[in-house]
Amino acid sequence: MKKNQTKFLAGGIVIVGAVAYLMYMGIKETSVYYLTVSESQKMAGGKDFRMEGTVAPGSIKVAPDSLGAEFSITDQAKSVPVSYRGTMPDMFKDDIKVVVQGKLDQNGIFHAHTLLTSCPSKYEASEQGHPK
Amino acid sequence: MIEIGELSLALSLAVSVYAAVASFWGGRANNDVLVRSGQNAYFALLGLLTAASAALLYAFVSRDFTVEYVYNYSNRDLAMFYTVSAFWAGQKGSLLLWAWMLSLFGTIAILQNRKKNRHIMPYVTGILAVSLIHFSSLMIFASPVFEKMTLIPPDGHGLNPMLQNPGMIFHPPTLYIGFVGFAIPFAFAMAALMRRQEGDIWIRSTRRWTIFSWFFLLMGNLLGANWAYVELGWGGYWAWDPVENASFMPWLVGTAYLHSVMIQEKKNMLKFWNVSLVATTFCLTMFGTFITRSGLISSVHSFGASTVGTQFGFFLILVVVFSVAMIALRRDMLQSENQLDSILSRESSFLFNNLILLGAAFAVMWGTTFPMISEAVRGVKITVGPPFFNIVMVPIGLFLLVLTGLCPLIAWRKASLDNLKRNFLIPFLAAVLGGAAMLALGMREFMAWLFFVAAVFVMATIVMEFIRGVRGRTAGGKENVLGGAYNLVARNKRRYGGYIIHAGMVAMFVGFTGNVWNQSVEASVKPGQQLKIGNYTVTYMGTEYSKPKPSVEEYVATLLLEQGGKKLGYLRPEKNFYHNLDQLSEEPPMPNSEVAIRSTLKEDVYVIFAALNDDNSATIKVLVNPLVIWLWIGGFIMGVGTIIAMWPDRREQKLLEAALAQTTTA
Repeated sequence: MKKNQTKFLAGGIVIVGAVAYLMYMGIKETSVYYLTVSESQKMAGGKDFRMEGTVAPGSIKVAPDSLGAEFSITDQAKSVPVSYRGTMPDMFKDDIKVVVQGKLDQNGIFHAHTLLTSCPSKYEASEQGHPK
Repeated sequence: MIEIGELSLALSLAVSVYAAVASFWGGRANNDVLVRSGQNAYFALLGLLTAASAALLYAFVSRDFTVEYVYNYSNRDLAMFYTVSAFWAGQKGSLLLWAWMLSLFGTIAILQNRKKNRHIMPYVTGILAVSLIHFSSLMIFASPVFEKMTLIPPDGHGLNPMLQNPGMIFHPPTLYIGFVGFAIPFAFAMAALMRRQEGDIWIRSTRRWTIFSWFFLLMGNLLGANWAYVELGWGGYWAWDPVENASFMPWLVGTAYLHSVMIQEKKNMLKFWNVSLVATTFCLTMFGTFITRSGLISSVHSFGASTVGTQFGFFLILVVVFSVAMIALRRDMLQSENQLDSILSRESSFLFNNLILLGAAFAVMWGTTFPMISEAVRGVKITVGPPFFNIVMVPIGLFLLVLTGLCPLIAWRKASLDNLKRNFLIPFLAAVLGGAAMLALGMREFMAWLFFVAAVFVMATIVMEFIRGVRGRTAGGKENVLGGAYNLVARNKRRYGGYIIHAGMVAMFVGFTGNVWNQSVEASVKPGQQLKIGNYTVTYMGTEYSKPKPSVEEYVATLLLEQGGKKLGYLRPEKNFYHNLDQLSEEPPMPNSEVAIRSTLKEDVYVIFAALNDDNSATIKVLVNPLVIWLWIGGFIMGVGTIIAMWPDRREQKLLEAALAQTTTA
């Protein structure tokens, strides 16, 4: 490489370094554990995390003002009661897969501030629950 | 009809194999008969896939529920409009649409180039035919389009109500046009390498394909954002979901490619870089499809662990290995003939723009695949959400926006102080003044302020370029201002089309910045009660019930919107329930919210009817989203710019012909 090319290399390194730094900071500050219901127990009393599971049939109790609900999510092996406050997604119902984000308290209740349902994407596998 | 479809697909697999073999063989052996036969086979693929598509379309229109796909995505109740769009509502049909587009685009590219680009066309045809082998076999084995039901149901399962929205009719095909279109420049690039064709002919020959695909990829994303905004009812348009990221990454790299080819055309530099970028863009279109459909990454879009993932994975590996091998084997062809001179030059500013776009794509990929990586490395799944992307992408976006102003105007080779002063002094002053004015008007959000200052700077550079250009043309007194402006753009379509695209980008950035001031409030209210947000007052009037179709129940809430005591009008968000009329199904009715939006240039008032409660109250969420409309306006401006940049140009044609004449004599 010729001498006068080094400054471009330096410029490139600065840019790459800046992006790498942003990514490092982003991961450090925003990453959360993504656990199954069974794995969630060790997080009791700890930090925010995401938990994935299926809504236990018949467990949904919607708040009178429809701005929240109490329900259980399960992964066959274990089940955790969830208390959620916020707008309910349209797709939220029994027996669907949901992702909740929040904290698990010492009594084993998960306080969720985010409730995500699987969006009915156009690519939904046709096998799911439809009789053939 | 179904048998015709199945037969067409089976034939298309056989014919695509033949087209690939004949083309590569014919090209290698310089056998014109074989080459022509390969091309004709490719044209036949268009016929076969058109027949297969017609068969599927006919099955939908004739409500043939013996076809599993038709059963799962439509019912007798569904309007014809949406019945047609149900074609690409699921995986099977969207693969067929993809394959059909690939056969169509390939046919057009072959017809355009088979005479003038004789040298590389057999390889282009061969590469495209290989892609069609992949798609045809997917549709026959992994994801059979015409699969039959074991029972014959009286009615279909119906189309998901969320997909019954005009946005869903245009969004997927638009996105696929973008995905598929990038196969053309990729095929030309690889064919040029295989054939040892020197120079930038492959770039010039596919310039229109590139910008066309790039634009459709952008529009596909934007239509998806618009659909999410008006239909999903969470108040936003982009959530950094893996599915969105999957189509955003190739766009970022495609944008880098679109810019860096200019350096090769002008300065014979960055050859290696350009081939790598076009290959990366194409690989990312495959990668996006692979991660979203293989079930490897969980997304709020439930793709399900679908059957096509594995084959897509193998095809992706094949494409990556092939591209890397070709570039490595032909690296002697990819030496730069010139060097960078100064860090203050157009070349280097383009290079930095490229690095940042690639960095952005890499960051998006990292954030998207992070759960997978962390699980593989540390055995625990860690996820990053929208906050990660905001931390990373907001500064990158700001830097890119500034470069949008700098890159087109900085001088080639080495910018002098004079050049800098001439092009940037006024925009710089405009930005300073604008920034001061915004501070004086009370803007306190630092990031938003920076974005607006940058936006003023970029717009000033663009406006100045137009003024200077028009002045130059009217100076002689032969042209008036309008005629001068017309001639200016008509004679430099690519350049001024590009400026208009940049102006659209600025408008979009203004739209993104509006997010800083988003507000929301939610509550349950009885008729007559009010909600307050900003200086708006929303009064709940009541809810009406109706049943327009046997399968649909509608609840429409009426809300009076007032601003500072002035009546602005009524908003009518809906909560609808879709019953499944299919006798075989016992699913409960599916709720679906239709939001109501009042859009102005300043801000959107966005109302969601969340629920009607037992005590006669309604749960309402109101959001105020400033500047969202500028996103859609920006998209429109970019469309205008793209059309101008793509318009046929005689001078460009001549340059290409000259380059072609040179290679044939060499």
